[in-house]
Parts: sequence; C-alpha cells; structure tokens
Amino acid sequence: MAEMWINMGPQHPMTHGLWNLRVKVDGETIVDAEPEVGYLHRGIEKICEGLTYPQIIPITDRLCYGSSLTWSHLYCQSVEDLMGVEVPERAEYIRVMAIEMQRIASHLMWLAAYAGDLGMSVGFTYTMRDREVFVDLLQALTGSRLTYNYPRIGGVAHDLPPNFDRDSIRAVDYMEGRLKEYEDLFEGSKIFMMRNVGIGLLRKEDALNLGVTGPSLRASGVSYDLRKDMPYSVYPEMDFEVATLDDGDCYARYRVRMDEMWESCKIVRQALQKMPKGRWRMVSPRNAPAGTGLGRVEDPRGEAVMYVVGDGSDKPYRLKIRSPIFVTVSAAPKILVGYKLADVVAIMGGLDMCIGENDR
Amino acid sequence: MNLFEFCYGILHWLVDLVNNLWYWLGDFLPWYFGDFFTAVGDFAASDGHLTFMTILLESVVIIVVALINVLNFLWIFRKLSGRILDFYGPYYVGYRIGGWLQNLADGMKLFIKEIIVPTKADRLGFLLAPVIFVASSLVILSVIPLSVNFGLSTNESGEYVSAGALFALAAFSIAPFAILLAGWSSNNKYTLIGGMRSAAQMMSYEIPLILCAASVFLLAGSFNFVDIVDAQHDVWFLIPLFIGFVVFLICLIAEVEIIPFDLPEAEAELVEGWTTEYGGMRFGLFYMTTAVRSYAGGALATAFFLGGWQGPSFIPDEIWFLIKAYIVYTVFMWLTWSVPRVRIDQMLGLGWKRLLPLAMLNLLIAAALKSGGWF
Amino acid sequence: MEAVSIEKAPSRIGENPEQRVLRALAESFPKTVSDGARLRPGLVRAKVDRSDIFRVCRVLKDNLGFEHLTMISAVEYDDRFEIVYHIASYQSKLLLELISTTPKDDPTVDSISSIWGGANWQERESYDLMGIVFRSHPKLERILLPKDVLYHPLRKDFKG
Repeated sequence: MAEMWINMGPQHPMTHGLWNLRVKVDGETIVDAEPEVGYLHRGIEKICEGLTYPQIIPITDRLCYGSSLTWSHLYCQSVEDLMGVEVPERAEYIRVMAIEMQRIASHLMWLAAYAGDLGMSVGFTYTMRDREVFVDLLQALTGSRLTYNYPRIGGVAHDLPPNFDRDSIRAVDYMEGRLKEYEDLFEGSKIFMMRNVGIGLLRKEDALNLGVTGPSLRASGVSYDLRKDMPYSVYPEMDFEVATLDDGDCYARYRVRMDEMWESCKIVRQALQKMPKGRWRMVSPRNAPAGTGLGRVEDPRGEAVMYVVGDGSDKPYRLKIRSPIFVTVSAAPKILVGYKLADVVAIMGGLDMCIGENDR
Repeated sequence: MNLFEFCYGILHWLVDLVNNLWYWLGDFLPWYFGDFFTAVGDFAASDGHLTFMTILLESVVIIVVALINVLNFLWIFRKLSGRILDFYGPYYVGYRIGGWLQNLADGMKLFIKEIIVPTKADRLGFLLAPVIFVASSLVILSVIPLSVNFGLSTNESGEYVSAGALFALAAFSIAPFAILLAGWSSNNKYTLIGGMRSAAQMMSYEIPLILCAASVFLLAGSFNFVDIVDAQHDVWFLIPLFIGFVVFLICLIAEVEIIPFDLPEAEAELVEGWTTEYGGMRFGLFYMTTAVRSYAGGALATAFFLGGWQGPSFIPDEIWFLIKAYIVYTVFMWLTWSVPRVRIDQMLGLGWKRLLPLAMLNLLIAAALKSGGWF
Repeated sequence: MEAVSIEKAPSRIGENPEQRVLRALAESFPKTVSDGARLRPGLVRAKVDRSDIFRVCRVLKDNLGFEHLTMISAVEYDDRFEIVYHIASYQSKLLLELISTTPKDDPTVDSISSIWGGANWQERESYDLMGIVFRSHPKLERILLPKDVLYHPLRKDFKG
C-alpha cells in the first residue's frame, strides 16, 4: 500500500478531547506524525487579565478536567509568591492532602482511559468506579465533584468536614487493596504486556531535549520530581519515594503512574497524621504589588508553571501558564515513528493527554 | 417425528386445502382454463414440489429458531457485560424478564433511521456488502441441526445434508469478501484499513480452523453433523483433541471478530473499522450478525468437540445442544470483556507461528488415533 | 529578595549553586548578562541582551548543565516586550529566569529550538499569541489559533 496521511482526530475515539494527530502510514507502519492542537483554545490567559485575583481561581479550575485542584493550587501559590502572603500551616497540609487525592483520581482516570484505549473494558469500569471514592471525598471537602474551586489566596476555603480523617484513611486503605488488584489485572494479562513492553520507546536524551516532564520523564530514567527536588508547600515534611524506571516504554510509564498512586496513598496518610490545628485561611491583600510571581508544581501530567506579573492593581497584568501536556505532545512524532498504527493509541494514551490545559 | 415430516405434513395439508378450492374454482371455467388449473394443482401436490418447498420451510424454521437464540445471545452479551463490568445492563425495557426486550427496542430504533450512502462511496458495493455479509452468516445456521430430529433433512428418513459441516465452514469464510468490499467501497481510509486487516486476519486464521475441523472429520469419518455427533457417543472429541479444541476456539474468536481479535473494527484506532460509514439498520444488521456468527461458532464447537446433543436424557436433545452452545458463547463473552485487544502483527504472528503448528500437531494426533483403531 | 553582587563574591569555596551559575554567566558574557539576582533558594534571575540569547543558552546547556527548558513567556509592557525564559537544571536543582527585552517595533529574538527541542512549540505559541518573531525557527506558524487570524490576542491593544 502506498503511503497515506490519516487524520486521527479531531473527532476520534483515540484523542480524549479535541485535537488532531495526523499520521502518515506505510501500510500499518507510521513514518511521520504531526499533532495539531488548538481546537479548545479559550484564551484563558487573556480572560484572566480582565478578572481580579480571586475571580481567577474558578477559571484555573477549568484548565484540566482531570486534575483541576492542582491548577487552582498552582495559581494560588504563584499569586502568594507575588503578594508575599504567608499560608497557615494547616492550610498547607490540607492542600497537600487534597492534591494527592486529586493525583490518585487523575491517575485512575488515566488508567481507565488507557484500558479503554487498549480495548480492556473491565479496566475502564473498575478504575472509574474506584475513582469515585476519591471524587466523593473531594466532594465532601470542597462541595464539587469536578471543578473544585477550593484553594484560596492565603489558604483554603473551608476546614475539613467532620469525620473526614476517618473516611480518608478508609478510602486510602481501600485504594491500596484495589491497587494490588489492578496490578494483577493489568500485569497478569499477557496481551496487556504484549501491547506495552517495548512500545513507544523514549530515550533519556530525547526526553530531556524535548522538554518531556512528569511520569513520562521519570519512566525514561530521569529521577526528577518537583515535590522532592524543588519542594514546595509542606512536601519536605513528607516521606515518599520518587518512582523512576529506566525503560522508557509504555509499560514503564504505566508502572511509574501506578507507583505514584502508592506513594500518594502514603502522603495522604502522613498529611492527615501530621496536620496541625489552627487557622486555615489568611486574609490576602486586594492588590498585588508590581513584580512577578512564579509557581511551579508537579502536576499529575508533568511540570506545571504559572508566571504572574502584577502591576499594583487588583488584576494580573499577565498570567502565563505552562502546560506539561503542551510540551509533551510536541515530542509525540519522535516517539511514534516506526511503530504500528495500533500503537498510536497505546503511546498517546500513555502520555495522558488533557486538552483543556493543552490549549488553554 | 422429525422436522422434515412435520414440515411436509403442514405443507401437504396446506396444499390439499388450497387445491380443493382451486379445483372447485376450475370447474366453473371453460375446459382449457380448467385443464390449466388442474395441471397447476397437480404440480403443487406433486412430491418433488412438496419436498422442495419443505426444505425451504425447514431452513426458515431453523433460522427463525436460531434468530430467537441470537436475541438471547445479544441479551446475554449485554447482561453479562453488565455483570462483569459492574453495572446493571438492560433493565427497564422488559422489566419482568430482565431487560430482554431491549434488543428489540434498539432494533426498532435503528430500523426507522435513514439509510445514508456517502456521496463518494461506490454505491453498488456499499449496498451489496451488508447483504452478502448477513446472508452468508444466516445460511450457516440453516445446516446446523439441534438434534437428530431438528435439522435440515432432504427426505422422510431424516437423512441430512451430507456435507453439512463442510458447507457451514465454507459459508463461514465468505464474510471477509463482504468486509473487504464494504471497506473498499466506503471510500474511507479507516474502512479500507479495516477491510485489509480483516482479509489478512481471516486468511491466517482460516487455515488452523479448517485443520482442526479436519481432525474431527478424520475421527468421525464424515462431513455430516449427525455422524460427527454420533461418533462422540462414547467420548467427546474434546478429550482426545484437546489441543484442537483450544485452537478451534481461538480461531473462532478471530473469525467472529470479538475483542481480543476485533482488529477490523478496532474502535480505538480505526473509529469503527470497516463499519464506520454504515448507519441505521445496516449497522444494526452488522451488530446482529456478529451475534449470529458467535452462535454459529458456538454451535460448531459444540457439534465438533462437545458431543453435540449427547447428554442425560432427562433434558431434550435440542436443549442440551443449546446449553453447550450458550456455554461456549459465554466463554467468548467472558474473554471479550476481560482482555485488551492485540495488535495486528502480533495477531498474525500468533496465527501463523503458534496456532498453525498446534493445529498440525492436533491433526497428527487425530491421524494416529484413527490409524491406531481407537475411533 | 536577596541581591547578590557577583563581582564582590570573595571566594569560590562555599558559594552556593545559585552564585556559581551567576558567576559563570557573568564571566562568560560580561557585556550582555546583567542584573544577576537570587530570588529565593533555587531560583535565579538574570537579564540578557537579546543579541546574545542563543549563545547564552548554548553555554547554559552545554557547560552549566541546564538540560531542561521549562517555559518561554512573552510579556508586553508599555515600552518593550520581555521574553522570559525559565530554564531548569535537574542536577543542581536550579531554576534560572532569563529575561530578554525587545523594543515594541521590532519583537525579534533568536530561536533556541535547536538547543532545546521543547522550545519549538513554546516559541510558536509566543508567536501566535503575542507576535514575537523567533529568527531561524524551523516552522514558525500559528499553533493555537487558526492560520488565517490576523491579530495577536495577548497584546494589550487587542480588545476582544
């Protein structure tokens, strides 16, 4: 068969959102690939220039449907850096706990989508079912199920609801049992291993050069986690490991995310244990001084950065958002070339696409 | 009384009834019309015509019974998927019978939809492909007997189509041509790739399938379903030909195109594969035909390896056959919902490098057993 | 905000990684790199002239171990565009904020996408939304907006 271009997207079961991957195939083998993004560009950076600082928090929730809490936390962190607001310690612990729950929920959603991509229906429904546990917990904490609007500049919106500690510990115990089951379910499946091991090889040098971050980078053998290496919030107090593998294939990316879920369970437990009493919110100033603020956190999908420029008024002069997926997708052609058409699904699924933050 | 006698009796009674009226009508007419009427009535009552019509009626009866089973299969498909995947499955349509009517409701919904032919599609091929696909799948069902007395026989003694099993396998392998035609005529890259995949897949899995069936034919010494099942009176072929049974099941899954091997319609990368451009009842027919083929596959596996309708006599033979076919189908579904999809090159590798040698080994075992005089 | 004077650093023994990077930059590019400051532990800021940005980045990647380009952001002020490069070092756990300035009428800098492949799309995004032109970029096209859009939406003179 002659070479031909195939549009996988914008409406395609593989894309998980609205983007287009043009692949050039020779028979079934991919010889070239070109991602096209921008279908979901809402101009969030421009919108934010017209809103006051607290009004932006719900907007940043809309950046990623998978892990909205991380983004509003990141925004609050960068504005606190700009304003010089000190956050109470209890609020920091609550944030860390909530973010780690969000990370588990996000990774579970990824696992569900990944299993669905590979055609494994049972993986999809089981993981989505168990994601519900954490979504329910976050609902008890924040009041919403998808876009939480929970962190505030200088703390969090509310204190923990009654009995939240007990429920969280129960959920984490349940989750650790479930994670074992998932490992049996996925790694015990010979076909799953056939579809993953050795597929989508991303070498260490390429990963570094192309700016790939997050689990995909750690799966390529670079042990770099912002929570550990440039700690923010109260992560220095937490005892956890950075999951790293050297293989750089789809299986390593899967494995790194599974290990991260284990570590997140540990962090949730520690945060609940070490959480001090006290205030959970400080009054933040209305206007920010002229200057810049920088927030840099480890999103479930990679390194997320926000750069806020203040001009002395109550609205940001410029808000720049660095989306981890935006940079990771640009590395996709490098990973895809040479594999089969069916591997596109495994590879792009393994990168954990989230178009909301990608297109902003 | 077997199905032939039953159908023959019904037709005979009907023809007699009509002929009485017919001859009575002929009496009122001039002689040249009357003779013509008499000739037509005599032809209708003749044995050759009645036998021919009986065979047609038999196949219709068998296919209708099989299609009722297919409705059951579709219901199992949905209900079992719900049980495995942790949701309810169909529930409200047919509340008292476990949502059994949901498929009929979906069928009606699909039936009232418009038939859309893409502008740049090859119109003839596009409309012909579903016909070939569905017809070739339904025709498999007609030759599969549910018991000695319930099958397509050609005379009163209940003698069945002599090469029924061979005919079933042959009809089974017409589908790839329809799929290739559908994939090509839709004028869409996804469907084209899906059709090509289907051709490659069917070609590589047809051979082990036929080899396994050949070992059964060798042991039974016949291509006839009744003889094959009778040969399993003492011991099911499952036991001497276990390798063949496993290979046969795997190949059937590939032939039926359900999940570990549903590459022609791999929804993750090819949208819906070769059915992408089809909508409405044509899509519904494809959906139904997958179940028809699953039923045919389960029935073939039952007849070849699981002793057909053999079983303790407190349950009728037909029910025994269906129980076994249902179990095979349930195993298919269990597999479908719990494993991912393989890749096309891995799948072809599996077919040519693993299943083909195993099928050859199985054929050797069958030949050894036959020449050793055990069967 | 703790400003570190580079020239007066008394000894190289005992200096922290932030100071080491600033000193190395100042020594390599005495004319073009200025205003080195350590904002907080692990975060360093320096200003660089736009004519030298490519060479500075080359030195940063090859000699100083900054293997990851985090973010390229463009900010419009009344009199200038600032292009802010956030460059991270995985080994010495540093984040360097390089600020380069262009005049309003000539928003051009050298592309660094041949140094870090990850800069490719980020430069396209800056071009798309802010209109910064990156010289010798392999494919400087709009990425988020459609190809036929005539404006750069993040500029202050663009009103909805």
